[in-house]
Amino acid sequence: MEYRSSEIKSKYLRSRKIPSTACSGCGLGMNHKIVVQAIKELKLEVSDIVWGTSIGCAGRQTFATWKGDGFAGTHGRAYAIARGLRIALPPEKRIILTVGDGDAFGIGLTHLIHAARSNAEMTVIVNDNLGYQSTGGQFGWTTPQGSHTDSSPYGMFEHNLMSENMDVLEILKGAGATFLARHVAMDGAWAVETMKKAILNRGFSLVHMPYPCPTNFGSTELGSRNQVNIFRWFKEHAAPLGEEKENTFWACGIWHDVSNSRPEFHELVHETVEKIRRTGTL
Amino acid sequence: MKRFLETGNFAITEGAILAGCRFFSGYPITPATELAEAMSLRLPQEGGFYLQAEDECAAMHMCIGASLGGMKAMTATSGPGFILYADPYGWALGCETPVVVLNSGRVGPVSGITGAPGQGEFYLMRYPTQGGNFETICLAPNSAQECMAMTVEAFYLSERFRMPVTVLADQLITDGFEDISVPENDDEMKELGFRTYPRKVCQGPEFYPFTDDLDIPPVVLGHNTGALCSDWTPTLEGYDIEEVEAHHKHAYRLIYKVRNHRDLFNHHYEKKFMDDDPDLIVVSYGTPSRVVNTAVTKAREQGLKVGALRLINLWPFPDEHFSRATKYLSVELNWDGELVREVQRAVPDGSEVHFLGTCGDLPTVPDLIETFEKLLKNEPLSRKGWILEAW
Repeated sequence: MEYRSSEIKSKYLRSRKIPSTACSGCGLGMNHKIVVQAIKELKLEVSDIVWGTSIGCAGRQTFATWKGDGFAGTHGRAYAIARGLRIALPPEKRIILTVGDGDAFGIGLTHLIHAARSNAEMTVIVNDNLGYQSTGGQFGWTTPQGSHTDSSPYGMFEHNLMSENMDVLEILKGAGATFLARHVAMDGAWAVETMKKAILNRGFSLVHMPYPCPTNFGSTELGSRNQVNIFRWFKEHAAPLGEEKENTFWACGIWHDVSNSRPEFHELVHETVEKIRRTGTL
Repeated sequence: MKRFLETGNFAITEGAILAGCRFFSGYPITPATELAEAMSLRLPQEGGFYLQAEDECAAMHMCIGASLGGMKAMTATSGPGFILYADPYGWALGCETPVVVLNSGRVGPVSGITGAPGQGEFYLMRYPTQGGNFETICLAPNSAQECMAMTVEAFYLSERFRMPVTVLADQLITDGFEDISVPENDDEMKELGFRTYPRKVCQGPEFYPFTDDLDIPPVVLGHNTGALCSDWTPTLEGYDIEEVEAHHKHAYRLIYKVRNHRDLFNHHYEKKFMDDDPDLIVVSYGTPSRVVNTAVTKAREQGLKVGALRLINLWPFPDEHFSRATKYLSVELNWDGELVREVQRAVPDGSEVHFLGTCGDLPTVPDLIETFEKLLKNEPLSRKGWILEAW
């Protein structure tokens, strides 16, 4: 893999929105680049993809960055919009959603689960900055236990969707997702390889990508906005799946890959409707 | 024409299909469930899609998605489900996405009685979402046949105005069986006054022009036009922007594209015995208007100079019908008085505005005639079971 930003930027991204207005040291751009790099390596064109985003840092900063068609949904609802869109769009159009952790795992979790259940072709990249950072830094549903945030000044003590045996990726696996992975922002080329598989799955794929937020999370939990601190802290708490250590929050790699194993939503619905139209029965 | 003895829900389904709707998403709720059921049966026969949603919020969002993909889409619910549309309704208003919404009212608040008609959502139809700075269009039929007509009309308006349009019915209208004629060709469509408008695709690069113009094609994704749409204030091209001036332009369009083109739909009303300057004008919409029409006809036979004004175009509120200073009586299926407030606002000085509401049940013809008589004689209204204040 070769990182040539200017090339991917001029081919796939809008100069008006890149560079984004994200805070200095924000890791979102790394996640974003991993996705676009994967698209480039798959030799997909701008016209092949409709790009959706959501509310919050991840949604706002990635909205309208894609040179092609794009939408930003209301908070947590991009997955429902995408399901309707999936039915109306031709099957060869791919849907990529770059959303935040609050959007996907909080307000939008029901819609996310139903998108997984229906195996609607879409690749959801959950850019997890460990909480609600655009509102100033409140804990979210995958914020590491004990973290100090603006709404957990004594440390986050509730069970959450990364507590033992409660991982959100397991929930989505149970809900029928056909591709699930987790990577931190600094996984680079390794994450690009995973992302390519996620995009190629004819079904529901989700990649959970925690990334550093030095401005809010870093300053409250780590006591400093120093970007190096939070990047180091991220690396300390991430490990490849199967090589987890005691202090590992994020086990990275492909969690679940049954790509192309069951009918995709658009195909299933269209084929069924066509059969009913012709024969009057299933 | 094909004739059926069928429900309003059936009529709405056939109307939607005639208008080109090929996508429906809904969540079961009395009394709109039969509409979802009818759609699940009929749409696949027409090559269309029925998707049952996990909740009403998802249902309307899926409709938005389908509409963004170029399909004409519809959803339907009752009051307790309509409030879950607040989120997608606002999105569709802001992004100017055509969608048709049916609300079949039942008595509330909250779940109330599932099997009793209600008109508690008069203002909710005007303010279905937060934030203000928009107008909405709402049509309120009072029969199964008119349900079909207003559904076809709602699709027509939603495409031309590029916005969600609501059809407001109630439990009796959508569940009641009536004689229905379904047109079978374009000539028969015309005969019934049905008009349709095709889905077009905005080619950009100006996706959000700051004008009050109609017939700007909506944003459709997947045509590689570089189309953008979001919940934020848009620039001309659809980029998100945090500038008050841009918001002024956006709000101007959302308000004035409707206000400045009311002539497209403000002919939807019915007047009975209104030509001789009646001493009392009875205002209503939906189910109670059918009782009112009977009562006013009978009152005329008894020599009472009463007229009936039935609103079909509810929002924007048609102030033009209230230019004469006289006595008005608003008859509604609620006890708190909703339509009456708007009537009170619209009438000229020197008018008197009165209210007769029922709560889960219907007004009766004798009750109405008794009320007309008292109002015409300047006697106080009876206050059966409920203390009616100054209305």
